[in-house]
Amino acid sequence: MSDQSLPPIDRRAILKGAGVATVVLPTIGVANRAEAAEPKPQIAQAQSPAAVVPSPAAAPGAATGHQFLSLDEVAFTEALVDHMWPKDQLSPSGTELGIATFIDRQLAGAFGQGDRLYTQGPFRIGKPQHGYQLPLTPAQYYRAGVSAIATACQKRFGRSFERIAVADREQFLQELASGKVKEGPLDLAAWFNGLAYPLFVQGAFADPVYGGNRDKAAWKMIGYPGLPAVYNQDVVRFRGKAHPRSANPQSIQDFS
Amino acid sequence: MATTLKEREVVVVGGGLSAGLIARKLVPLGRDVLVLERGAPRSGSESQLPSQRDELRWGIQRGLMQRENVETYTLRHAPEETALPMRRLLSFLPGFGVGGGASHWNGQTWRFQTTDYILRSHLEQRYGKAAIPSDMTVQDWGIRYEDLEPYYTLFEKLFGISGKAGNIKGVKQEGGNAFEPWRAEEFPLPPLEPSEAGLIFKAAVEKLGYKPFPMPAANASRAYTNPDGMKLGACQYCGHCERFVCEANAKASPDRLLFPFIADKPNFELRTHAEALLINYDKADRRVTGVTYIDTLTGEEFTQPASIIVLGSYVLSNTRLLLLSGIGEPYDPGTGKGVVGKNYCFQTISGVSVFFEDRYINPFMGAGAYGMVIDEFNNDHFDHSGLGFFGGAFINATITNGRPITTRALPPGTPRWGSAWKAANAKWYLRSFNISCHGTSYSHRSNCMDLDPDYRDAYGRPLLRIAFDFPENDLKMSLFVTQKAHDIAKATGATIVGTPAPRRGPYDSRIYQSTHNTGGTIMGTDRATSVVSPHLQSWDAQNLFITGASVFPQNSGYNPTGAVGALGLRLADDLMSYLERPRFL
Repeated sequence: MSDQSLPPIDRRAILKGAGVATVVLPTIGVANRAEAAEPKPQIAQAQSPAAVVPSPAAAPGAATGHQFLSLDEVAFTEALVDHMWPKDQLSPSGTELGIATFIDRQLAGAFGQGDRLYTQGPFRIGKPQHGYQLPLTPAQYYRAGVSAIATACQKRFGRSFERIAVADREQFLQELASGKVKEGPLDLAAWFNGLAYPLFVQGAFADPVYGGNRDKAAWKMIGYPGLPAVYNQDVVRFRGKAHPRSANPQSIQDFS
Repeated sequence: MATTLKEREVVVVGGGLSAGLIARKLVPLGRDVLVLERGAPRSGSESQLPSQRDELRWGIQRGLMQRENVETYTLRHAPEETALPMRRLLSFLPGFGVGGGASHWNGQTWRFQTTDYILRSHLEQRYGKAAIPSDMTVQDWGIRYEDLEPYYTLFEKLFGISGKAGNIKGVKQEGGNAFEPWRAEEFPLPPLEPSEAGLIFKAAVEKLGYKPFPMPAANASRAYTNPDGMKLGACQYCGHCERFVCEANAKASPDRLLFPFIADKPNFELRTHAEALLINYDKADRRVTGVTYIDTLTGEEFTQPASIIVLGSYVLSNTRLLLLSGIGEPYDPGTGKGVVGKNYCFQTISGVSVFFEDRYINPFMGAGAYGMVIDEFNNDHFDHSGLGFFGGAFINATITNGRPITTRALPPGTPRWGSAWKAANAKWYLRSFNISCHGTSYSHRSNCMDLDPDYRDAYGRPLLRIAFDFPENDLKMSLFVTQKAHDIAKATGATIVGTPAPRRGPYDSRIYQSTHNTGGTIMGTDRATSVVSPHLQSWDAQNLFITGASVFPQNSGYNPTGAVGALGLRLADDLMSYLERPRFL
């Protein structure tokens, strides 16, 4: 693998080189607002702010930093969502869309901490159709899966997922999703299909109030008009026709 | 130790559709009614803009539903397997809170077919006794359609159902369902406006010689005042029905139309945060004496004495309460003896997607029952001789929603991520819909419910254990009707027709199918094979009545809510009769 095939940014490596591995970076803002404000990195341990690698600013009002994910996990998650939601003529990248932020917030919040999940034992291995059966919270499960994937990538490529070539990422994810990647006791296909993939899709298409789908870019991409969704007249007026609001969706924030 | 409260006349467990229909009858006639509801009133952000439109919160994370960490169910595909808990309830959605499931339903409101109530007799008569598989435990209800017709009519008026009649007192009506059982009157409201998908579907099925009609909908096509003076607004086609409460007051539900009608009456009480733990049963006297419940706000236990108890909670809760309370003989799938937990059924759903390069479907303009339907292949509307199965499905194009996490059909062969996946979403989101089959679920000897030996709820009670898989009969049926849907899909002129997806086993608890669980406390004329009488009176306790889809001996090809409504209204009349003169009805 040549270095030319590496993804353009490997922030973790840059950070390590800069000796500020404890710094938690702000998430990357929406591209069209990148010049809006000064970056405001959060610093986990006392370090000179000057040592922090500059990063595109977050959109005004957008939350920055990570609540749950470690720096390694952020690097993996951003690489994952950027591969699965690449920047192209349709939209910004997955990270720019906020999918990694969404995943971090979900894992830190009620969902990730196992809210409403039935967690009583005994824990048994069932059929896939029984659904999730592990004693882990979704946050613990996500962490355990990322760790197993890191080991699998190290063994196979000699480096972490975020540092392998795009073609290798694709091959690896295909194998991960179809159960061909085995590392440790967890069923990594179930992890990918049952946890990571749904979070990815939700992060793309949920209301932006949760940190993903920034600037409603995913809704614009598909033509979902969002709120207020009052179509009593439109069902006849725009039956079989393009709806003008498809190009200009509104979200919860626009009504708050 | 539970605190014992003052006796009430009629106590209904479960503050949903059945409770509302019973209370609206009994309370104005001066009867004392207390409803125990485990959840809260619907008055928070779930019923207000903008939060009501939050797909993640209500649609994906199921904010209105029963919390699994408090109570879930265990699942095994056959009685000889070990059951595991469904740690997340994804394949069906038991409600929680005032209005129950009928506050977050889609609103598809049907009358069960005349043959549904006499299914075993009908099939034996038409096809011969030998044609019915020995493990297909379908039964007659012990009543006929004629017994329910006036209650269906009343229910449709109370809920302002939008639709087009197909058969008024035996006279066929153009534009309605040619197969529907006769009805006394036209629907109270005209149908919803047809959608683009509905028009495409209509043209295709007409080409094939079928008779399409608009789906009967509890999404009001225009503003409406019901016979009780309760009002509905006009549907806004917002696409947030199932899993959501209607903030526009346009979807008929108990919390909007039934409880408010009697809320201020001194002889009515709706007690929320009251989770029933046990029905107190005097086995020697064959009577129930009260309900023990926990106040979920404080954790305190109370015993509420009652002269009559009605179980009107969800199907699974009705069955579990009987099992926990030791009322009636639990069903044993090995011997076929016993009745409580017998004949658990579901709904057999399948479909095929269609994609149109040059048509705007605009799925975001949706409503729960915004559909065009054919009924040619449902129930016993066609000759099953030699087919190797019984039952069928209605086939429909219904635009329930275009919520973007959930509803993005993609053509076969589309990758699951990457630029090509994004491009496919961008291309097809506005230009696709699903043609689906809503199929019968016929009872099978080994599909049943009992108490789990290993897993408990938050209060320490055994969970309900479900043994279920799709019987071979239903899988064959699904294959047949899905082929018909595929033929229709091809006749639409779609740019791409998706891969038909007939229902296949094993039953997958990870995938939403419907909240049409039925059975467990089934009705019938013989106490050896049923839990309640044709008047929904327990064979084991004269002052205990049970209603809801738990009394269905098997499930029809139609959505169950219309039949649940009719049964609830009929029970209200039976309760008045019983109150005047307590006896076995």
